Amino acid sequence: MTAPNIVMIGVSTGGPLALRRLFDGLPPLNAAFVIVLHIPPGMDYRIVLSLAAVSAMPVSLAEDGDYLRSGQIYLAPGGFHLRLEGNSRIILEEGPRVNFVQPSVDLAMKSLLKPLRRKRIVGVVLTGMGRDGAEGIRHIKEIGGVTIAQDRETSAIYGMPKAASETGAVDYVFPPEKISRKLVELLSSNKE
Amino acid sequence: MDSRIMIVDDETMIREAVKILLQSEGLDIIAASGGEECLDRLRAGFRGVILMDIMMPVMDGWDTIRRIVEQGLYEGNIVVMLTAMDAPGEKMEGLQEYVTDYVTKPFDTNSLLDSLHYYLSLLPTDGDRL
Repeated sequence: MTAPNIVMIGVSTGGPLALRRLFDGLPPLNAAFVIVLHIPPGMDYRIVLSLAAVSAMPVSLAEDGDYLRSGQIYLAPGGFHLRLEGNSRIILEEGPRVNFVQPSVDLAMKSLLKPLRRKRIVGVVLTGMGRDGAEGIRHIKEIGGVTIAQDRETSAIYGMPKAASETGAVDYVFPPEKISRKLVELLSSNKE
Repeated sequence: MDSRIMIVDDETMIREAVKILLQSEGLDIIAASGGEECLDRLRAGFRGVILMDIMMPVMDGWDTIRRIVEQGLYEGNIVVMLTAMDAPGEKMEGLQEYVTDYVTKPFDTNSLLDSLHYYLSLLPTDGDRL
């Protein structure tokens, strides 16, 4: 199965509201969205319902073995790590916490491979405690992706976005609404 | 009506101010003066949105959340830190999954109310699989 464009979003504390702000009004785009939110099992599907209420794209809880589809939003379930195989297939697995968390943003982002020609990868780190996602953002930059971090003013906790920015690998620092506009710009001009 | 919001704060003035604010919006709220009382309320069956202070004597907010999780009392709740601390510090490590939001005092009342209404909508209902 052909790997689509991918937007991978890492987020933690303050995330449910930040994600709503990001997806509210975002039109369907030519990319699969993978959200890694630090969340316990049992709460994840409530977030799916909440995002589905504002998103123009369908939202689902990621399942092991799912193939990414463009125009679909996947939320990593609580209690598992998520990684991608060949930039196209979702793998859920147990295992030790990474950066004190599960699912780990770094683990998911670092599973991304350099995209094929004309394919785009975008990494986004939103509000959250700790520094999960910083190494993932560095990796996405290294494989040729575009990287975005939430700004300090709109972050409930400016921990993860700050750590990502401090790697020097972040292209844009924006509030959620402006991240949406940037995604439209990046993914409307990159038709399959 | 069952209360679905709990404020946990050792400062009486903060507890009362938040109670008055939320009650004026028609929200039912209970208060706990510290971590142990919060745990007692959870053992007694409270499930809802917990507004948790961090700096409290005896058991701070982080230790309280740890005990909530360890004692199997987390499920069905949402925890929002309501604190004067600008940054959470290292004691939060490992608790990221259990802290849904972080609001600093003094807080914008409209913004807090909007957030609370949203978090109340995320709570499991009787028809859920929880």
